[in-house]
Amino acid sequence: MRNIKAVMFKEFIHILRDRRTLVLIIVMPLIQLTIYGFGINTDVRHLRTYVYDQDQTYLSRQLVDAFVQSDYFAIAKKVHSLREVQDGLDKGLAQVALIIPPNFTGDVLKKKGSQLQMVIDGTDSTPANVALNSSQAIVNFFLQSQGLMQVLVSPVDFRPRLWYNPALKSSYFMLPGLIGLILQFMVPMITASAIVREKERGNIEQLLVSPIKPYELILGKIIPYVIIGVLIASSIVMVMHFIFRVPIRGSPLTLFWLTLLYLVVCLGIGLWASAIADNQQQSSQIVMFFAMPSILLSGFIFPRETMPTWIHFVGYFIPMTYFLKIVRGIILKGMGFFDLIEQVWPLLLMATIVIIFSIKRFGKRIE
Amino acid sequence: MNNIAIQADKLTRKFGKFTAVDDISFSLPYGSIFGFLGANGAGKSTTIRMLCGILAPTSGTGKVAGFDVQTQSEQIKAAIGYVSQRFSLYSDLTVMENLLFFGRIYGLVNSVLKQRIQEVLLLTGLDKYHDRLAGELSGGWKQKLGIANSFLHNPKIIFLDEPTAGIDPIARRSIWELLYQLADQGVSLFVTTHYMEEAERCNTIAFISQGKVFKMGTPSQLKHEISDQLLQVECNPLLKASQAFSKLEGVMGLTVYGTTLNINVRNLEQAKVLIEQAAKRENINITSMRPIPASLEDVFSLLDIEKES
Repeated sequence: MRNIKAVMFKEFIHILRDRRTLVLIIVMPLIQLTIYGFGINTDVRHLRTYVYDQDQTYLSRQLVDAFVQSDYFAIAKKVHSLREVQDGLDKGLAQVALIIPPNFTGDVLKKKGSQLQMVIDGTDSTPANVALNSSQAIVNFFLQSQGLMQVLVSPVDFRPRLWYNPALKSSYFMLPGLIGLILQFMVPMITASAIVREKERGNIEQLLVSPIKPYELILGKIIPYVIIGVLIASSIVMVMHFIFRVPIRGSPLTLFWLTLLYLVVCLGIGLWASAIADNQQQSSQIVMFFAMPSILLSGFIFPRETMPTWIHFVGYFIPMTYFLKIVRGIILKGMGFFDLIEQVWPLLLMATIVIIFSIKRFGKRIE
Repeated sequence: MNNIAIQADKLTRKFGKFTAVDDISFSLPYGSIFGFLGANGAGKSTTIRMLCGILAPTSGTGKVAGFDVQTQSEQIKAAIGYVSQRFSLYSDLTVMENLLFFGRIYGLVNSVLKQRIQEVLLLTGLDKYHDRLAGELSGGWKQKLGIANSFLHNPKIIFLDEPTAGIDPIARRSIWELLYQLADQGVSLFVTTHYMEEAERCNTIAFISQGKVFKMGTPSQLKHEISDQLLQVECNPLLKASQAFSKLEGVMGLTVYGTTLNINVRNLEQAKVLIEQAAKRENINITSMRPIPASLEDVFSLLDIEKES
């Protein structure tokens, strides 16, 4: 116990003296929070729209207004030729072009069937889909409200409702996941480099001939990083809750314990990286090698449901896959420990394997 | 307890097919400086690692401070101090913080530790640098810090693996003065080196080469053994002479020292005659020729020759 405390004390001095790592620990979560909280927004709003109104009547202007009112579209430019439309789409100045034919009002009133055209830039599928779906609804609603189309009375009163995130804010989805992402990146990185550093600088030689036991050394070195990990996680939760106003519906205590479990898995990955690496550069490369697929395959951004079976399967071996369900479940849905048991046991299993394996590897390395 | 600090009995260590240390036996009393000499890769560090209890011998036994290297490595670790060749304390910790950390893991309680730290700082002269970062010290001071650290817990034996490698001559001398002070206090020092003039300062020396101990004894003993086998010849042209003399019967080695040749010979009188004859034949002008006392370096180079034959 005394030895563990001595190592911990020394490790904290290292951390406080190592400005670069300290800055990384503080600044990286802040940058990520800002990027994901403000910057990355998958909610599509205000599509850049070119309007080519060849009719120029009260009705056509009302229609354009209806598009703007919906908030999905914003007029970037009113144009006067098809060439301008083409040019705008080609150069990416417009994402969408609304083309109202001459005689629009006349044809509509005579019920002759007017042709209203919308051209959508399909390169990015997300905004294209939004434009496609919303424009249809906007036009229908416009015609009904103008009394130009009969309002159908459906025998079924269909009322879809959005639960958990009624405003469909992407920050609700992103920020809880960010806890998983940041821990997965930083914790293995700083643990691995802290351990590899002793090897790299030859300190391990002095420790080997001292009476300290390997487990005392490892625990003493790891505990400070557990504490740092907890601090990082709590500060992300604070910023998420108080600045980005994401509600926490579940028990903070359950969140704490399960985050700790995930932290242990992340530490284990760091330990393992340090056991096979000879220097800090190698260890951070190993950590990156595992962190990259985590972002893509865990469901952090891309839904796992749409992945091909085998890639979906690979995701089961990524700790973050389980933690994302846990953290989103607790924060957004208010799930309890027992609702999450299916995500908890794989993490427990991973923690056990990775810790046993790395301690064994570490012991061998010392020989 | 008997007076033996370190005892090695047929100590052998193999790495795969390579035998790093081959059947080494010796015993050392307390309170002396033991010099372990050999070229790089001769097996010095492997021997130290076995004696410190961090590398198990393939065969043979050893006792350090009365503890068995095979079975009692934990007791050995607590009883010895160790200074590695490369600075292996923490360069981002101050002198004081380093000593506090290592003192604690050797189990010294705070009151004792504080007092011991003051003692070692004074003895090594590091007291004026106590709040300096270890990484900012010069090479000599770093090594002194390593030594200070190694006897913090009052060990009876200290192992020093090339403590003066890459350090300037003045700092080296003051490090050796420190080592003498320690030896005076009854601490046994096991020092590896490949500086011959440092070997002269040891009480006992052993030459190790290719994992074997070739010769062991006090420096004067070893030098005495070959004292009547060394001729110093002043002559010119030097290059021609060195080529001519080295081929002669009974000449075992030849070294050029400035304007003279040091020649190791099997028999002094016989060699004198042969050399004079050769000089006449080859038109070499000999100004002087006399037997000289050997240095350890001569012992060492002669050993190499004996090994080959």
